[in-house]
Amino acid sequence: MSASLQEVKRRISSTKKTGQITAAMQMVSTAKLNQIQKHTTSYQVYASKIRNVITHLAASHLLENVEPAEAVKKDQFNTLSMLKQRPVKKTGLVVITSDRGLVGSYNSNVIKQTLQLISDNHHSQDDIEIVAIGGIGADFFKKRGYDIVYEFRELSDVPTFREVRPIVRTILRMYQSERFDELFVCYNHFVNSLTSTFRGEQMLPISAENIGSEGLEETSSSGYQLQYDTEPSEEAILEVILPQYAESLLYGAMLDAKTSEHASSSTAMRSASDNANDIIASLQLQYNRARQSAITTEITEITGAQAALE
Amino acid sequence: MDDKPELTVNVVTPDGNVYEDTSDLVICKTTQGEIGIMANRLPLLASLAIDEIRVRKGDQQFDEIAVSGGFIEFSNNVLSVISSAAERKENIDAKRAERARQRAQERVKKAKQAHNPDELRRAEVSLRRALNRLNISSH
Repeated sequence: MSASLQEVKRRISSTKKTGQITAAMQMVSTAKLNQIQKHTTSYQVYASKIRNVITHLAASHLLENVEPAEAVKKDQFNTLSMLKQRPVKKTGLVVITSDRGLVGSYNSNVIKQTLQLISDNHHSQDDIEIVAIGGIGADFFKKRGYDIVYEFRELSDVPTFREVRPIVRTILRMYQSERFDELFVCYNHFVNSLTSTFRGEQMLPISAENIGSEGLEETSSSGYQLQYDTEPSEEAILEVILPQYAESLLYGAMLDAKTSEHASSSTAMRSASDNANDIIASLQLQYNRARQSAITTEITEITGAQAALE
Repeated sequence: MDDKPELTVNVVTPDGNVYEDTSDLVICKTTQGEIGIMANRLPLLASLAIDEIRVRKGDQQFDEIAVSGGFIEFSNNVLSVISSAAERKENIDAKRAERARQRAQERVKKAKQAHNPDELRRAEVSLRRALNRLNISSH
């Protein structure tokens, strides 16, 4: 009996230690989550400013005007290729995962849904170019024999724009050099600290729909349309803004994914700590029972011996 | 100063608001040349050169902000400067800018040797950025 007492005791202390670790990890993730959320709010100001301007230009039908004719005509107008729908030969997928585990279903969710997205669009493996951000996604798709055109690991916990910029630039350059003809971004969107949902959005070419969905409502709610003076021309401004817009979209996706990573890591660690507490409670009960029965046996032995002596 | 109409200046980057204040005159350099913006003007959209933005505070005082391109949007008396990177003059790290300049010069040299026009263009842009920051921090 005493051996099992020892055994239970050891398990209790080991579970307690694990619980301490997961509790600490949870606190770290929560702190990171707070940090990145603060950062995200300041980024959103920037993103919404850009979107408003783009929406305005879109509203003046510039997108439609420029789209078919001019982009084909003027090859040197290369940024406007972001508006042009090319015949799709290759599809680029930016898959944002984390670098490490212990984040619950975060990674498996992204990967599963990405595969779903691929099969929904009837792509075969050869039509897909993967841009992997985060080690887990990179390893997964590499093992499956997908074509990985770019891989980035160890994105910091609160990514700054300066850090992300080279990645974003590379991706845009690949698009412009026609490595792929459309670009989807697959990541987990942060809803609140308990839930995140998968998003697989088309990012390039920039079309009226993927700007319009959120932006147009905002301007129509303000009731009137501002008429801008533009300097130099609207086209030239678009040339500046569109790449900036694409950059900000990708950066936003990465921020969002990181936020959701911290959130799911924090949730996973919290449930791990809760489980540890449950196990400790049941082990403690087991321990007490064992101890109690040991005492009972001992008393029976003593009284038995006493009875035998009399 | 009090009786002059004022406009609000906002410098927004992806890493947050760099500058927010009111002023009666803001001077920016667009890709077409310098432009002075005063309160109550018509709405304006313009693309910026890699240069500085000067915000008048008091008679001869200017707040200076380095921007690396981007664009400005003016409407409802609010001037939004939307740029992927911007720094106030006081916050520019001259040493870092100097290092960036050296790096950029290396890249320009290499790109010229390799006859890589794309790389050369990019290197020149980063060189301009570094020079711009150095320039602003030194005056």
